[in-house]
Amino acid sequence: MSFDSIVTGRTSGGRLLFSAIAALCLTIMYAPVLYLLLASLNPDAQLGLVPPSRYSLTWYLALLEDRRLAGALEESALVGLGTAALATPIGLSAALAYRAMTRMRGIFLLVVLSAMLVPGTMEGLGLSAALRVVGLTPSWVTITIGHLLWTLPFAAVVSLIGLSAVKPSTIAAARDLGAGPMRAFVDITLPLMRANLISSFVFAFLLSLNEHARAYYLVGRQNTLPLYMFGAMNSGASPTIYAFSGAVIVISIAVVAVVFAGLAGQRSEGRDERQPRPADRGHTS
Amino acid sequence: MLDESGGHENVGARWRPTTFLLALPSLAVLVGLGFIPLALMATWSFWSFDPDTYWIKPAWSLASYAALLEDGRATVFLRTAGLAALTTAVSTLLAVPAATVVGLMSGPRRAALLLALFTIPFFTSGLVRAFAWRLVLGRHGVVNNALVSLGIVQTPVEWLLFSDFAVVLGMVAAYLPFAIIPIVLAFARIEHSVIRASLDLGAGFWTMFSTIVLPLVMPGIVAGFLFVFVVAVGTSMEVQLLGGAGASSISIMINDVLRVVNFPLAFAIATVVVTLLIVLITVANRALRLSRLFESLGI
Repeated sequence: MSFDSIVTGRTSGGRLLFSAIAALCLTIMYAPVLYLLLASLNPDAQLGLVPPSRYSLTWYLALLEDRRLAGALEESALVGLGTAALATPIGLSAALAYRAMTRMRGIFLLVVLSAMLVPGTMEGLGLSAALRVVGLTPSWVTITIGHLLWTLPFAAVVSLIGLSAVKPSTIAAARDLGAGPMRAFVDITLPLMRANLISSFVFAFLLSLNEHARAYYLVGRQNTLPLYMFGAMNSGASPTIYAFSGAVIVISIAVVAVVFAGLAGQRSEGRDERQPRPADRGHTS
Repeated sequence: MLDESGGHENVGARWRPTTFLLALPSLAVLVGLGFIPLALMATWSFWSFDPDTYWIKPAWSLASYAALLEDGRATVFLRTAGLAALTTAVSTLLAVPAATVVGLMSGPRRAALLLALFTIPFFTSGLVRAFAWRLVLGRHGVVNNALVSLGIVQTPVEWLLFSDFAVVLGMVAAYLPFAIIPIVLAFARIEHSVIRASLDLGAGFWTMFSTIVLPLVMPGIVAGFLFVFVVAVGTSMEVQLLGGAGASSISIMINDVLRVVNFPLAFAIATVVVTLLIVLITVANRALRLSRLFESLGI
């Protein structure tokens, strides 16, 4: 394992050019949102930046009194938790199946990932028509069904990555020592995958929370957050929408950052466990 | 669900039915909620509108497909595909160097940090990110204020917002993670010794990059290209929030058609798009075995 970058020497301007482009990417990804965050701290009704001494949470406090927002928040939380609670175990199950397969693995993976490759509008439209024929009234349940389809590929991939850290020999050792298959799964596989399962749940929740295209077709009487926001953004925006956008972004980024830190922590931990230390090797040989 | 995922199979494929049981829930979701509705939609696109029920009836007809070419719908198709292609091209041109910085030019810590930074926006609201561009690009937005105060322009530039420029910029910024991450995955599969060897043998950076790195990461580039194109073809919010007056896209057209309850036509538009995308993805997958990308994840 090298601790340096792979390309170290002279790059004839390559490093400079590529780093500049990477910086440009990060700028267009983050700068507008950062500006929005700062603008949301402006207490005046007129949009724009104010000096930090005048920053205020006025518009954030105004959010608390918005009844329609509370309804949308409740609906989105319900859909997000339902989606994550379904996508995580089904994704894990798909990952275990993929691991166990000897034939047709490629096709199975392609089928599981295929939902990523259908645009949300078309998927939402088809699903809403099919559910209508089945007689399911649009509600948080129909959105959850649509979001399960959307988040499952991601949940499966996160579980697959976690499962790759569980060595078959570890399971075999547990089995040799007398553990039944279920015991080995609960005591060995699940604990080793803990961080990935948590990430899977959180990612599915966030993807559902921010999904707009499918929800548009599957929504019942109560809007979800993105649908509520879209309406507010297109109707002569009151400054509360900036505060609300800011809150959504800050919470999402904070949650993902925590999950990433947790995953990185587990990976370095896992690496220590998996690589036999030289001292151990000395004992056995 | 956990009850049936006994994990028996971790030891080896001794008990086949368990594998099937483990695969069943995800297959049921993908087939039952994904494939079947799309197939039903394709079928119903050949049915007719039923004025009695405000739904559809099984009177077979090609009228919806004929209507695809009316009322400037073909133009909307081409415009959407064009903007999506432009978005995809720009995203790819930015993503290759950005992913190279992660994959070749950073130590493990910085690579992990950069990868996290490139991934995080994917999990945040696309709606908010599109909306944020309005504040930046507007008549009195940051960019125009800067341009005016620096004396580069006399009056605010009008085409920054509510234009194709704004739509493409918004989509590029939103979908860069889709382009960058597959390329980073492809980098993980490159043997570092190959690159070191070429540099040791005297290849300059650009020679090494174009003859060794680019061909090896090509599956990642194509995968990213496809991901970005698919979402850019299907999206409506960037066009709705950042596009000019009367700007349309396939998704907006579908919504307009639904507003006048012309279900068969909406189904026909969606079916054509999904079919074309399936063809595109199948061809790319045949040519480049894209599923191999996941091998670099160790799965």
